[in-house]
Amino acid sequence: MAQTWLISGPPGCGKTTWMLNTLKNHQGQRGYLRLPGISTTGLEQADDGAIDQTYLQDQITDLIDLSNTDQAPNDQEQQLNLIELTQFEPPSSSALEGVDSSVIQQLEALGLRLDRALHFGRDDDLPKDDTLEFSRLEAWSMPLERCVWDPNSLSSFWFELVNGAYGDVYRAKALMNLPDGRAFFCNWMVSQGGSQFLPLESVAPPDGRPKRCSMLSVQGKALDGGGIQATIADCLLSDEVLELHQEPQRQQAELTQAL
Amino acid sequence: MERWALISGLKGDLELYEQIQRDLQATRGVNTLFVLGDVISPERNCDALWDRLQNPKRGDLRPNCIYGWWEEQLLAETGFRGDRKADALRLNHGEEVVDALLRAVDPAHLRWLVSLQFGFVELDCGLIHGSSADIGDELTPETSPLILIDRLTRLDVNRLFTARSAQQFRLELTGGGIDSHVKALGGEHKQQQPVPKRSVIGIGAGAHYTIYDAGSDRVDFLKAGAKAVANGRGFG
Amino acid sequence: MSHAVISCLHANLAATEAVLADIDRQGIEHITCLGDLVGYGPQPNEVVELIRQRQIPTCQGCWDEDIIDGLNSCECSYPSQLAERRGHRAHQWTDAQLSEENKAFLASLPMTVRRERLLFVHGSPNSQHEYLLPDMDAFAALERVESSGANTLFCGHTHMPYVRELSGGSIRVKVKQAGEEAASERKLELPMRRIVNAGSVGEPRHGSTEATYVIHHEDSDEIEIREVAYDIERTCRAIVDGGLPEVFAWRLSHGFEYAERADDASHVCER
Ligand SMILES: [Zn+2]
Ligand SMILES: [Zn+2]
Repeated sequence: MAQTWLISGPPGCGKTTWMLNTLKNHQGQRGYLRLPGISTTGLEQADDGAIDQTYLQDQITDLIDLSNTDQAPNDQEQQLNLIELTQFEPPSSSALEGVDSSVIQQLEALGLRLDRALHFGRDDDLPKDDTLEFSRLEAWSMPLERCVWDPNSLSSFWFELVNGAYGDVYRAKALMNLPDGRAFFCNWMVSQGGSQFLPLESVAPPDGRPKRCSMLSVQGKALDGGGIQATIADCLLSDEVLELHQEPQRQQAELTQAL
Repeated sequence: MERWALISGLKGDLELYEQIQRDLQATRGVNTLFVLGDVISPERNCDALWDRLQNPKRGDLRPNCIYGWWEEQLLAETGFRGDRKADALRLNHGEEVVDALLRAVDPAHLRWLVSLQFGFVELDCGLIHGSSADIGDELTPETSPLILIDRLTRLDVNRLFTARSAQQFRLELTGGGIDSHVKALGGEHKQQQPVPKRSVIGIGAGAHYTIYDAGSDRVDFLKAGAKAVANGRGFG
Repeated sequence: MSHAVISCLHANLAATEAVLADIDRQGIEHITCLGDLVGYGPQPNEVVELIRQRQIPTCQGCWDEDIIDGLNSCECSYPSQLAERRGHRAHQWTDAQLSEENKAFLASLPMTVRRERLLFVHGSPNSQHEYLLPDMDAFAALERVESSGANTLFCGHTHMPYVRELSGGSIRVKVKQAGEEAASERKLELPMRRIVNAGSVGEPRHGSTEATYVIHHEDSDEIEIREVAYDIERTCRAIVDGGLPEVFAWRLSHGFEYAERADDASHVCER
């Protein structure tokens, strides 16, 4: 029998990091699903599911995507399924009774039945983060598929973003492509006071633009989306400049192959 | 181990180049040849030497070339340096010499010339015609050591091989230091900086060339066709 | 007698006015300006006209040079594509704003100003684009002052004010020449020299948002670094109203330079 747990909490409380560690430490099969968040008036959800999904999938290559019912079994012996749910308010009652009925229905449609429900800020099994109180958050996101960043421009932009040049940013997370084929999971929360830049394991080949998921998702107040977009446009590499980076990489690869 | 021959100032003299190639074949262990510029000059037609450098004969040690002061003048005069013309040459030698230089090289060679680098950095050594400050920088044993430290620092190398002065010498920085005291809004900072143990080597020009053994850091100053080479000992 | 040195005004009128008022208040009559009157900031004409009207001896800065000659600074002086694009945008904006008369004034500025053994330059005696940073190799720094025949070299361009004294220096060398049996040795005693960086009036990046400049107290030969508060809000409003990138206002009000620059003092551009 599989174990299926619902992990809920507000954005930026550390769900993804905790789930990554838990799944990495689990011996048996591992499954993951991210549910669309439960909206509370005035608190917008960031549309950033693909970032977590891509990052976890990169870190745990045999991770089972539970949203895809015919991809893989979800009920193996020793299997651990984690369901991620962004939810601002703690559930009304503890444990399974507090789980929103719409969530139960969505899971049933995928053949999943919950064994546990844990909420960040309420359950002691989860790390205690100073989950911030917030009353009004805006969300802003930008798809960046096929975009490649000038590395130094990325660090300047990220510095400006998290230090308030484009509004009061509470949370920023992204998957960004670099010209050497690497991608970084960039993660910043006001409560942590620092940024994480974690490289993905998978490296894109040096021929043209990478095809993996890439996006930026920001939550905060008085966000200046136009300003963010204008700066990003100055940071992204043109086809010509990208080719300048990739040509020597291809030559290097040929050389290594020849040896 | 790396053993280099460094030559410069051939000034179109193919016979001299062939003599040096013969010397090098008779010298044990030399595996790399660097040509630090001034392959051309207005004194004679340089096309034959130019050809030979681009298309080495069997048995030639393959030359690694950078451009020198004369090449820089030609590139400037033929429009490869923006608005700048061969002003230094015109000023010092007059219009006839500019014309002679243009006649000395077939324009078809310019393409190769343009592709040459300003200098090489190999191991911890900088190889350059003049210096990192200027292609016409004449470094000699009499040059202020302060200037020499600056030129070494600009390239961040332990040994700087230069050709412009045409002299053969090795100047080693052996000791000394300086006190630096910086006062800024954030506070004060005192520091004693020792003289770095670095050296500048003049490789000579024309028939005078230099062999450098990277493993032992030994420098030998040679002259093309001189007997000392044949027995491989040099006289450095 | 005292003498004020200002640099890098960068079209920031409020900061320039505040610094000049601070100098006036102390009864200092002699002022020298190390250039970069324009660039990034919102009031290029106003700042140039103020310097002209006050007849302040000025040498040409990197921006003053680029605005007349077209973009001259090599790409390698920008550490990122973002910084380069912003630099170019600011250049085009400034170019469109500046009157012909003010451009002619910038074109007329000398590279250096010399007063006996004091030399005033924007970047270094070699180039308006070279940075003399406080932690630059001490011998290379001394070489800049010594080669220009000065005792004290006043420079700007880094936007971080400092005073650096180089003293007690010596260099020992051993020389071996072709054809000589023995090597010869000699020792060079180096003179005491000083580099003074005047900081920046209009685009401070020393960790605070206040304008900086220096005063040379000639009687005691001491240098004083001054910080002056000014109405940043006024400049930020002018940035936004003038149509410059809004992020410039944010950067200025947080004490960051408008566009980051490469900090390699020994970098030699071979274009
Ligand atoms: Zn400046
Ligand atoms: Zn400047």
